[in-house]
Amino acid sequence: MMRVVRETYIIFKKDMLIWFKSPVVPVIRALVFPLLWIVIFGTAFGGTVEHIPVALVQEDFGAHAQGLVQELNKKEVLEIRKTTNYATAFRMLTRKEVYGVIFIPPGFSQAIGDGGQGRVQLSTDETSPQISSALIAHVYDAAGVYSDRVVLERRPAGGGPAEVVDPVVMEKNTVFGRGIEYLDFLAPGVVMMTIMFSAMFSGGLGVIVDREFGTLRMLMAAPITKDAIILGKIIAGVMQSIASGIVALIIAMLMGVELESGALGVLLIVLLMFIAGFGFIGMSTAIGARSKTLEQFMVMMQVIVMPMWFLSGGLYPLESMPGWMRVVATVNPLTYATDAVRAVMLRGIVWDILALDFLILISFSVVMFAMGSLAFKRTID
Amino acid sequence: MDIIVTRDLTKEFNGLTAVDGVSFSVKKGEIFGFLGPNGAGKSTTINILTTLLLPTRGTATVNGYDILTQQDDVRRSIGIVSQDVVLENELTARENLILHGEVYGMARREIEERIPRLLKLVELEGREDSRVKTFSGGMKRRLEIVKSFLHKPEIIFMDEPTTGLDPQSRRVVWDHINYLNKEEGVTIFLTTHYMDEADYLCHRIGIMDFGRLLDLDTPENLKNKIGAGDLVDIGFTGDGEAFVREVQEGCGWEVRSHEPGHLRIAANRAELSLMKLVRIAEETGVTIDSLSVREPTLEDVFIHYTGRAIREQAAENVTRAVLRRLR
Ligand SMILES: Nc1ncnc2c1ncn2[C@@H]1O[C@H](COP(=O)(O)OP(=O)(O)OP(=O)(O)O)[C@@H](O)[C@H]1O
Ligand SMILES: [Mg+2]
Repeated sequence: MMRVVRETYIIFKKDMLIWFKSPVVPVIRALVFPLLWIVIFGTAFGGTVEHIPVALVQEDFGAHAQGLVQELNKKEVLEIRKTTNYATAFRMLTRKEVYGVIFIPPGFSQAIGDGGQGRVQLSTDETSPQISSALIAHVYDAAGVYSDRVVLERRPAGGGPAEVVDPVVMEKNTVFGRGIEYLDFLAPGVVMMTIMFSAMFSGGLGVIVDREFGTLRMLMAAPITKDAIILGKIIAGVMQSIASGIVALIIAMLMGVELESGALGVLLIVLLMFIAGFGFIGMSTAIGARSKTLEQFMVMMQVIVMPMWFLSGGLYPLESMPGWMRVVATVNPLTYATDAVRAVMLRGIVWDILALDFLILISFSVVMFAMGSLAFKRTID
Repeated sequence: MDIIVTRDLTKEFNGLTAVDGVSFSVKKGEIFGFLGPNGAGKSTTINILTTLLLPTRGTATVNGYDILTQQDDVRRSIGIVSQDVVLENELTARENLILHGEVYGMARREIEERIPRLLKLVELEGREDSRVKTFSGGMKRRLEIVKSFLHKPEIIFMDEPTTGLDPQSRRVVWDHINYLNKEEGVTIFLTTHYMDEADYLCHRIGIMDFGRLLDLDTPENLKNKIGAGDLVDIGFTGDGEAFVREVQEGCGWEVRSHEPGHLRIAANRAELSLMKLVRIAEETGVTIDSLSVREPTLEDVFIHYTGRAIREQAAENVTRAVLRRLR
């Protein structure tokens, strides 16, 4: 056991030493693509968002309340989940099951019926700007449309002047993601993308390059275990990826991206980078070990990396994708990595959300690490 | 004492027999060479002995350790200079040596202590902090040679240590090999397809072709086996029939090859019989155009065993591989 650790460290140290000779190139290589894609596609690719889950707490069932709910239900923008009490609805918001809570308090219809104003509360999660803006716009629209209708009905038969106040008043309360802009939404995706890029290209590349230049042979002829060679190389690859990821994170923070959860959050993000790094390096190593040439490997990587990036929810929320894309996204490990980092950065540490992401990510990484090591081992046997 | 012993070593690559029942032994302290053309199975044999490949059949011990069951002990006993350069190009000479030492389980202090002396040995002092990618082919070879010696192995395997080097660099490498063998007492196992290299360096030579060991002996004995004495090449014009018969019967010389206008014979102390040769030529009406007397080289040995010159075979290699697969 001690022996494997010592030998793993030797190999790890070697790969890190080589990396430290020119760390700028690999880091930039890992950053260039995510940043480039943002610039090119960041503004061009946007779908319309539909079926946004929203919790409705209705404590008034008068005519006006029902009328407003009917209006909210139009156009299929929202997917309204009726909830009996506010506490449950709020918990759903915290767990990211819904993006907003609409609360219609008792006496709403009464107030309007009496010629006064009825108040409706909207609590929002704005960590995903495209979703929250669509949600807020739709709710305000519905309130506006219903208000107009009430005003029209109230008009005295004689045709006197219309009232100036809106019968329905919206009160918005941003629960998560106050002041979030598109950049804040994008940053977590870019950070994870950097990890994936760096890991995918360096992992398998290490196998192929070492195989072609024979350095692997030199190690294999040495009195050192194969496990140590594989482990040392993979851990070095993970560390190099994390370095790129941290640079991306620092750039994001310098650009003013929010970080809700402070130092512990940074720690969690690095932990996520570490787990995801293992998974992607493993995947890349498995492919690298099976690729016959460098070109073949590079083509494979492009074919895998690009769709994974687009269908990860890193650029645009999953809710804005057509159904089939969303299916792909749900089996994409990058989706969960991005989701977890975004949650930590924009919402704070909510284990209810993070648990699933961590679980899926760890499973992915364990499987990929095993596959990568086995494939690697087979090439050097 | 035998430091390497192989028995019936065989390696098949899906139907192709690269090494075919090879048995031999190498004595401690000698420079032992495998001589053979491309594809003869030299590298494959080395890969088996250095535990990089498992044999299909047969066994071997290296430094007393079994290559199948005591791989780590074998690995610790040997140094390897492989056919392709296997240095980390991005690292400096010193870093490469440190990495190597650590991989072989040496203490950092011990490595640091040995580095200056080793670099001096191969005239690379002053370059220890240059990256290896800035080195010439000869410099890389020299670095690899001392690297293989860093952990004080009993045996160093060198697969074509001078291939691709200019004549001057080859000489330098030969000197290093001789130094390691004579001064440091390292047993050397090398392969080559240069006759002069095998002749100059090796105490004993195994001739390999088609995966088989055709013969194994000292350079002198190998040369003697193809006929004691000298080789005489005669270029002539005229009817060769009578001439050749007379040379064979009259002088008792052994005819090696006979083509129109050219005759090669083997003879003991040929210079004493040259007058007789000239007289036979006159009597049989043949004019001698050229005449050379030389000691046989390993090239001749190789032709003797395989019927072909070693250089002709590079081009034949593809055909050979196909033929062998068909057999
Ligand atoms: N891994 C392998 N898979 C299949 N065939 C192989 C493999 N390694 C070697 N061979 C075949 O085995 C035969 C012997 O190869 P080997 O490399 O031992 O020859 P060699 O004597 O070292 O030749 P060279 O002078 O070219 O280095 C060749 O025909 C080669 O094509
Ligand atoms: Mg070879």
